[in-house]
Amino acid sequence: MGFIGNALYYSFHPYQLRSIVQWKVWHNPPHERNPANETQSEKDCFKFLDLTSRSFSAVIQELHSELLMPVCVFYLVLRGLDTIEDDTSISLETKEPLLRGFDDFLTQEGWNFTGNRKEEKDRELLVQFPCVITEFMKMKPAYQAIIKDITAKMGNGMADYCRKAELSDASVKTIEEYDQYCYYVAGLVGEGLTRLFVEAELANPALLERPHLQKSMGLFLQKTNIIRDIREDNDDKRRFWPQEIWSKYVDNFDDLFKPEFKEAALNCNSEMVLNALEHADECLFYLAGLREQSVFNFCAIPQSMAIATLELCFRNYDIFERNIKITKGDACSLMFASTQNLRVLCDRFRDLTRKIHKKNTPKDPNFLKISMACGKIEKFIETIFPSQNAEEANRRVQGVLSEEQLKKREEDAENKSDVYFMMALMGCIVLFVAGTMMFFAWLMGARFDLAFKELMGGNFRPPAPSAIHEDL
Amino acid sequence: MLKSKKVLISGGTGFVGSATVRALAARHPGCAITVIDRSPPRAEHILPKTIQCMQVDVTSAAEVDRAIQTVKPDIIIHTAGIVPSVVDRFSRRLEREVWKINVEGTRIMLNAALESDVEAFIYTSSCCVVTDDLSTPYCNIDEEWPTSHTSLIYGESKVQPNGHLLTPPLGSVGEGDYQLVPALHACIAKYQTPFIIGDGQNLWDVTHVRNVADAHILAIENLMTSRTASGEAFFIQNNEPITFRDFCLAIWSHFGHNPPFEIRIPEKLAYVVGFLCEMVAWVTDTHATLSRGSVRDACAVRYVSGEKAKAILGYEARIGIEDAIRLSCEEYARRIGVVLPARC
Repeated sequence: MGFIGNALYYSFHPYQLRSIVQWKVWHNPPHERNPANETQSEKDCFKFLDLTSRSFSAVIQELHSELLMPVCVFYLVLRGLDTIEDDTSISLETKEPLLRGFDDFLTQEGWNFTGNRKEEKDRELLVQFPCVITEFMKMKPAYQAIIKDITAKMGNGMADYCRKAELSDASVKTIEEYDQYCYYVAGLVGEGLTRLFVEAELANPALLERPHLQKSMGLFLQKTNIIRDIREDNDDKRRFWPQEIWSKYVDNFDDLFKPEFKEAALNCNSEMVLNALEHADECLFYLAGLREQSVFNFCAIPQSMAIATLELCFRNYDIFERNIKITKGDACSLMFASTQNLRVLCDRFRDLTRKIHKKNTPKDPNFLKISMACGKIEKFIETIFPSQNAEEANRRVQGVLSEEQLKKREEDAENKSDVYFMMALMGCIVLFVAGTMMFFAWLMGARFDLAFKELMGGNFRPPAPSAIHEDL
Repeated sequence: MLKSKKVLISGGTGFVGSATVRALAARHPGCAITVIDRSPPRAEHILPKTIQCMQVDVTSAAEVDRAIQTVKPDIIIHTAGIVPSVVDRFSRRLEREVWKINVEGTRIMLNAALESDVEAFIYTSSCCVVTDDLSTPYCNIDEEWPTSHTSLIYGESKVQPNGHLLTPPLGSVGEGDYQLVPALHACIAKYQTPFIIGDGQNLWDVTHVRNVADAHILAIENLMTSRTASGEAFFIQNNEPITFRDFCLAIWSHFGHNPPFEIRIPEKLAYVVGFLCEMVAWVTDTHATLSRGSVRDACAVRYVSGEKAKAILGYEARIGIEDAIRLSCEEYARRIGVVLPARC
């Protein structure tokens, strides 16, 4: 948009600008990496992190030092896996063993892969993969085991998917398949990260006993991306919206993009959003189990972005025409909220849920279901942060005041008496000054008796000056 | 479990009572059910043929005693009560009558039960005992909540010191619903649907009368076995809070009506208008549709936690809110002879 465009935009959207400035000025990273003490391979890893991820790089680099390298390496390993899977120039015969055996490459010093086509944007990462392997080998064995396990699971999942795509067709049929797909590409990441957090003792171990929570974290993000990217994916001949959902509204998937099916497309959009929204309360539940600020930020930022994106996409026909995303100002304000605490984040979630709710219309076949999903999120927030409690209500009914209220009342009374005292003092001063002035006026011969008589006679004006002259 | 048990249900020809009778007869065909009610069986509340009906006024101790002596019930379910209609809900006009039936009636029933060999007494109260103080919101409240002191006649009259089920009185829909769906349906003809009082974001929890009936049966089953529910109060709702506005929109949409536009009225302004309407109604001696009470009712946040009922009674709503609204609209449409438009 260029500088002038930006200047114009922000002069009409001051709040956006305010959020950006606020974020830049007031965000204090909980931890910062120290490039001076880093080895060459560490530096290389961060270089690739910057190159491969726009959104995650910054938050990863603010992570607690215990998790900094493990999460960075984990991200790069998965990105490497993804680069092989995405490359359509590699035949299934070559691709399948690469994906299935990717976890073994992590322990083969010096392994790299040069078979990607030139256009593949993260090709260089796999060419220089040895730096990732070096860092992987330096990690604690417990972290290695976790990353290896998840890589194996994801590699196999991707291989199954590629095989299916080659032999029949890869489009997603049922909602179950859709969840399955999202689980392989995102749910597993949630699982790996949770295990790393717990291993580093930065998250509540109880999270591991509730695997559906971490699964929801991944699915919520992935489903939001799938909804937002429908146009882009379709242009690339990829379809992730499950047939079980879209077939309720249109006969052919391509009809979603035709103007004559606009209403059907919007209804389909709202069912997809509903499907994603059902994970939101579990995401908040998960975030409540994180103990360390940097880990909380790392998890909360993508989640708040996701619900904002979902709000933006909900019943928005633009998603079928072009790629849309939340504005930079909104993103900054969300990041600001996501790096405070769960309470602030929950308030944000509630606001966005209400915005979704506001766009809901009774003409939509999923009207009530969406209303219920919004109600569920709000109720969940109310359970973790009750706005009132029975004890207080009991006190209110009995007319008894709590200690805080009593204290406040005392303070109020004190303040009040202070104010009265000040006013009385002011009154005295005014009286004293006025009295003194009148006394001096009297000394100089002022005729108050005449003035008083005139006033009583209804004459409030001083005599006209001309009359005085004549007298003289 | 309930084989050859004798069950007496007061108010059994009413809305909640008849639903409980039907559910009990279906679930436990072995038990003998007797209905006592002031009114004879009504057309809109169908009762199974196998049950026995007695015309008894619960405010008369003699009549109640006689009925209990004759039936010798093992279990009493006391649902008899009067729910003032929407118009009278906020006034004190019916205070004496409501008080007499809901309080005196219950006292008479309890005394009669104490003198006979009744094993279980279940009282259908209302969440209004807690939530009828309209001045505060009720978000996700639980059974520890106190009963309110300033309140509406109905809520006050339902405060009782016994184990009871707290049901949503103006919040139940279903077969034979004579308050909620009819009142909201009437808004269409009166062109009231575009007006939103308040921010339209206030959540409340509705339930289907069959879910309420289910809860009664679970309560009986509990009191006949483990008795963990003895002396306890339970909130019975759907645990699926939605906004009041959405609830209305969903009902109107079933009748093929979608408000063509929306006008938001701030709660404070509506409250003042409500007050003026009340004055006009007072001067002209009529009923005001809009009153301070109804404004606050429409803006009230009222949803509860279903944890206790789930933990002790094992209660979970069998009919989801979506089906509850659909079933009620279909039933009401049949009753008034309207054909609902087909939905996609």
